Amino acid sequence: MDGWMDGWMDGWMDLLYIIYLIFICFFSTEPNVGRKQKLTEIHQALISDPVDIETLKRAAATRGGLLTDEVRRKVWPKLLNINVYNLPHRPGRDVRDNHRDHNQVVLDVRRSMKRFPKGMPASERAVLQEQLVDVILEVLKRNPQLHYYQGYHDVAVSLLLVVGERMAIAMLDTLSNYHLRDFMDPTMDSTKHILNYLMPILEQVDAELYDFMMRAEVGTIFALSWLITWFGHVLSEFKHTLRLYDFFLSSHPLMPIYLAATIVLHREKEVKQTECDMAMVHHLLSRIPQDLPYELLISQARDLFARYPPSLLARRAALQSHKSLSISTFQAFQLSTLHQRPDSVLQRLTKAHGAATSGHGLGAALSRDRGQLWGKGNRMVKMAVWGLSATLGAAMLAVAQTAMEWGPDVLLQLF
Amino acid sequence: MADSGSSGEFSASLTSSTLPPPRTRIFKIIVIGDSGVGKTCLTYRFCAGKFPEKTEATIGVDFRERLVEIDGEKIKIQLWDTAGQERFRKSMVQHYYRNVHAVVFVYDITNAASFRNLPAWIEECRQHALGNEVPRILVGNKCDLQDSVQVGTEVAQQFADTHSMPLFETSAKNSNILKDGSSRGSSDHVEAIFMTVAHKLRSQKPLVLSQPSDRAGGTVNLSSCGDSRGEGARSWGCSSC
Repeated sequence: MDGWMDGWMDGWMDLLYIIYLIFICFFSTEPNVGRKQKLTEIHQALISDPVDIETLKRAAATRGGLLTDEVRRKVWPKLLNINVYNLPHRPGRDVRDNHRDHNQVVLDVRRSMKRFPKGMPASERAVLQEQLVDVILEVLKRNPQLHYYQGYHDVAVSLLLVVGERMAIAMLDTLSNYHLRDFMDPTMDSTKHILNYLMPILEQVDAELYDFMMRAEVGTIFALSWLITWFGHVLSEFKHTLRLYDFFLSSHPLMPIYLAATIVLHREKEVKQTECDMAMVHHLLSRIPQDLPYELLISQARDLFARYPPSLLARRAALQSHKSLSISTFQAFQLSTLHQRPDSVLQRLTKAHGAATSGHGLGAALSRDRGQLWGKGNRMVKMAVWGLSATLGAAMLAVAQTAMEWGPDVLLQLF
Repeated sequence: MADSGSSGEFSASLTSSTLPPPRTRIFKIIVIGDSGVGKTCLTYRFCAGKFPEKTEATIGVDFRERLVEIDGEKIKIQLWDTAGQERFRKSMVQHYYRNVHAVVFVYDITNAASFRNLPAWIEECRQHALGNEVPRILVGNKCDLQDSVQVGTEVAQQFADTHSMPLFETSAKNSNILKDGSSRGSSDHVEAIFMTVAHKLRSQKPLVLSQPSDRAGGTVNLSSCGDSRGEGARSWGCSSC
């Protein structure tokens, strides 16, 4: 009986999800025709076996990124090869005991109020801040070789706010071992090395600007917080941060440097007009305009990456002397993401293996709840309900599409 | 003046780095100290004139500036606000130690560790060739939290004397109490501290030997948080002291 109910409910969830997709296709405020198609593509890629990771990566990088937090919760784990049915447990009390970075983490998290949505009640924010401390310390504890840096909390909070505590731990763990790995050495020498890629890119594109910045001796520290927080520290609109996270999660670890380059290039006139002095240029560049054309800059960053890949820059700028773990492990990481099973299969496997997916806590509510339901579900009923939801969904889609041809008024009446 | 011997060397570095039109000189001051002692609040307070509502961890180096007028001369004060976490100071911040004219060391009077770490910061400066000849001051911040003082004025003064620095105890925050009425609350201290440094730097410039400035009288009010003007402060050579 339980199983039947669970399967039925799960089918309902799928149905709701399809209705939701249709809704956001038609009622979005963004006048983007490609949006609907993109959501369909993402959905198709997610249910392919193996998961169509290339399509997901393309979706994350191209116009609009992953569009909604709902989609992010489904796609982000795939980009990092994370099985959402086998998430880490919530950290216990002991996670805070005797960690060398404990004080620094608490200090930084306590004063990170700006990262939380403006209207959020203080009590709710306080709960999330405590979770944030736990998430960070849990990942650091699992990886004793990793060192906390100020700014790491800006990355962690962006994940936490979208995917919840347990998935944030899983994602941060993977990111820390790959994309962010260089920043987490005992010293920041490797981070400096990554920053050193910035000037050679500028040199390739705009030699005059490059000369100006060299004369000013501005250095690259103005871009430090951009790089190590993936811009989370400097953007005031969370939606822009998320858009960039979509992009960076689907890209090479050096991509934030290419985006930094496009931002500097975008402000080329301003830079050249300013006084050729370290302080002045640093001041100008470190204050990032909040109205940047992000979509344009992202596509420019992708172009730059294609035209001047890291290997080329390394050759030209004698950057090879330093070994970057993020760069050297990226290929293997990419390969590992190619053989992921879709969530429906992962659920079945999880059940078959009897793997523990204890579901306490708040984070990633949807995925986890679904995990629990599936864990107990009756397969036959599940299949039947799946079929029903799919059929209904397709029917809805057809009706909605026809309605669209008649006009939005008819569509509104329909719902 | 106790340290007048250094003024020649100092002014030389000034003239060589000054790019803008002759009347606007630039004084570069670096602000260093442990994480969370209030470096950002102090520099923001001085440059924006108010206590920032929310400050976050500084990543790398932030820059703030303010144009002040001292005896009719316009002077640009540039403050370099640095990250407190050790990993940043080791390999990131050194670029910003170059051509610095003065150093402000900050500790938190409610945090003994931030005071104990001062020798490491002084050593850091020394390694960047910022020795005793460069004006340096010591600032104990968060004076408004009198209930949780961990670093007494006496011990801080002793430390400051040993290192030939003047000591100031202040609060970047505590000004709202005196919002209406008297304007001479500790809200003026932050202002006065940086202005004292500016006066000091200006007095080292040979062109302006002539008059000790009257405006520096404002600095007399600095030490309401405790008797912070000990030997170090007096020997430091602020023209009005």
